[in-house]
Amino acid sequence: MSKMLSVENLSISFRTDEGVITPVKGVSFTVEKGRTLGLVGESGSGKSISTKALMQLLPGTARLGAASRMIYTAKDGQQISLGNLRHGSKELRRIRGGEIGMIFQEPMASFSPVYTIGNQMMEAIMLHRGLKKREARQFAIGMLNKVGISNAAARVDQYPHELSGGMRQRAMIALTLSAGPALLIADEPTTALDVTIQAQVLDLMRDLQRELGMGMIFITHDLGVIAQIADDVAVMYLGTIVERGPAKEVIRNPQHPYTQGLLDAIPSLDHLHDRLKPVPGDIPSPTARPGGCPFHTRCTQAIAGTCEVHEPPETSAIPGCAVRCWLHTSQGRSAA
Amino acid sequence: MSKHKDTLIEVRDLSVHFPIKTRKLFKTEVQMLRAVDGVSFDIKRGETVGLVGESGSGKTTVGRAILRAIDPTDGEVIFHRKKKGGIDLAHASEAELRKVRSKLNMAFGESGGGIKVHNLADDLLRAFRPEMSLVFQDPYSSLNPRMTVRDIIAEPLIASGKYKNREKVDARVREIAARCKLNLEHLRRFPHAFSGGQRQRICIARALVSKPKFVVCDESVSALDVSIQAEIVNLLKDLQEETGVSFLFIAHDLSVVAQMSHRVAVLYVGKLVEYAPTEKLFFAPKHPYTHALLSAIPSADPDAGFDPIRLQGEIPNPLAAPSGCRFHTRCPFARDRCSAEQPEWREIEPDHFVACHYAKEFNFSRS
Ligand SMILES: Nc1ncnc2c1ncn2[C@@H]1O[C@H](COP(=O)(O)OP(=O)(O)OP(=O)(O)O)[C@@H](O)[C@H]1O
Ligand SMILES: Nc1ncnc2c1ncn2[C@@H]1O[C@H](COP(=O)(O)OP(=O)(O)OP(=O)(O)O)[C@@H](O)[C@H]1O
Ligand code: SF4
Ligand SMILES: [Mg+2]
Ligand SMILES: [Mg+2]
Repeated sequence: MSKMLSVENLSISFRTDEGVITPVKGVSFTVEKGRTLGLVGESGSGKSISTKALMQLLPGTARLGAASRMIYTAKDGQQISLGNLRHGSKELRRIRGGEIGMIFQEPMASFSPVYTIGNQMMEAIMLHRGLKKREARQFAIGMLNKVGISNAAARVDQYPHELSGGMRQRAMIALTLSAGPALLIADEPTTALDVTIQAQVLDLMRDLQRELGMGMIFITHDLGVIAQIADDVAVMYLGTIVERGPAKEVIRNPQHPYTQGLLDAIPSLDHLHDRLKPVPGDIPSPTARPGGCPFHTRCTQAIAGTCEVHEPPETSAIPGCAVRCWLHTSQGRSAA
Repeated sequence: MSKHKDTLIEVRDLSVHFPIKTRKLFKTEVQMLRAVDGVSFDIKRGETVGLVGESGSGKTTVGRAILRAIDPTDGEVIFHRKKKGGIDLAHASEAELRKVRSKLNMAFGESGGGIKVHNLADDLLRAFRPEMSLVFQDPYSSLNPRMTVRDIIAEPLIASGKYKNREKVDARVREIAARCKLNLEHLRRFPHAFSGGQRQRICIARALVSKPKFVVCDESVSALDVSIQAEIVNLLKDLQEETGVSFLFIAHDLSVVAQMSHRVAVLYVGKLVEYAPTEKLFFAPKHPYTHALLSAIPSADPDAGFDPIRLQGEIPNPLAAPSGCRFHTRCPFARDRCSAEQPEWREIEPDHFVACHYAKEFNFSRS
């Protein structure tokens, strides 16, 4: 297994009217060739902006922390520091699409409303695969077929707004995969799909991964999907990774109180009449990030005198897993 | 007349067809895409009806046609008012529509856009339509980037004319924002500074602020983490209890639909295939498509087996929908009759509707 992406200590700040906020703080993760990292966590915890930072897609008000490192190993083995690529540079354009493909959470971000789906796909295919126009059109139709769009030969000439939400999402998946990326970042790629087509699209991604050794970062709120597709998982809360490890292990045996709360909140067909159980308490304001453990304001197991004062270190009790919680440290256990 | 005195929305033979241009070598042909084709169902006061089905099966189109955000090609949508009686939204004039609009709302996951459109005159509405379809289920492009979140949420309230002074509007906006778990400090911000889930909550707050009678929730909780999703589901249920609002709840996450809905309807290529009380639909479905759909719900239990029924055959092209039963091209149980004869929409048990020739023979019960 070889590491294709290594992110260390990524922090992201924004200048806002209310002052500087830091919605991502000290995030580290790696992606290996042919493997999938699942990213789950609270809405607004920084999943999308962490991955957008890799491709320099953050708005001008954003700043990366000085210690942030994002090292990508390209198809030709060259190591590239993504943070140093300049906007508008040739190298950045080569990385976007051809090396790192991104399926955006906002489906319209990848499509222009004024060109047909086909024209936009053909442009990407000609650029990254070096095909001629006619071949590119055939390739585009084939790709639309693969993501389960019926009558692809006609759909290819339609405009984005003429497709249903889920078709547009699939067209976007087809567009991104057409460029043949080595690393795929998929931000909520299946939320607009029904479960049968979702299963089909996940199969397709897995097949491509096996064939091409594609690495994947898969962002989703659906822990069922994580259980299906992810090898490893990282759980984010307020801009930090609070727990990580092999996906099945983390889901079976969650260590962090937030992960435990998240799993308890999943609606189940077996308990239709029970009220759902959200994680108690309110999400803190980004301008007033809690000191100590960021989760202490909502944690039912918090250790008074410790959790609200000191930030917990990352510890690893189970091999391959890591958690940031005082309950899993010897100091915490003796204080409790 | 509706069957029940507590019926709020009655949809009768609703059809929506779109003209589609297709390029054929040298000429362009126009074909009719039957996105919704003869759909009938009703929604009671205080009831949540779930609408599920394959992507592209026409769910959003049904929601928008009920609210007259698009003109139905055919059929009726009766909105039963307690005092003033029924009004057919499908044929109502713009002036009549204006009177009831504040009572009907859409929390498109895509949201804002739709609601705004309801306050426009018909010609404006038409001019707006292409843009509106751009905002489908997408909480990003639908929120006006130049309005603060406070103004976005307040807009339907002000349009309804119920709240005249600013303090009252502010108080109501803050109340609903807090209940939708939005940070009150954020009300002054512009939408670009919010994550997907935060925008979705803005859309929900906006749809609920004027205390409507009927809300279409189109993928309204799909971008939320499961904890906030649980909170919003609980909130929608509480509000329903308090105000008697009815919901048409469109979502792909079937566990959430089951949790929210009293009854669930399943759409396949523009036609309803099954409609039943939630427990019957989930635990004793009668239609082979419903059965296949339920088998594909991924479980968060990594030890639970996952073996969805992989439907063979192409997803039908709505421009050339299959003859007979539209599912026959992929149905594992199809027989000759299925491709020849359209199955009747019939009530095989009280409150359990299904369109399949052999529904009575199937036993798909799940424990
Ligand atoms: N341009 C911006 N200016 C200020 N704050 C921003 C901006 N963009 C994002 N944020 C903030 O950064 C945080 C993280 O946003 P991000 O979109 O990464 O969340 P997320 O984890 O992807 O959430 P979701 O699951 O809801 O999509 C949010 O709290 C958001 O308000
Ligand atoms: N403005 C339009 N012009 C042409 N065709 C359209 C338009 N709006 C929708 N359609 C077509 O109508 C059909 C139904 O679309 P609709 O958006 O209602 O599906 P849906 O069930 O909501 O799907 P999803 O789950 O993917 O959101 C699709 O084939 C779509 O391409
Ligand atoms: S460190 Fe403390 S507050 Fe944070 S999750 Fe662990 S027990 Fe709870
Ligand atoms: Mg996001
Ligand atoms: Mg839709």
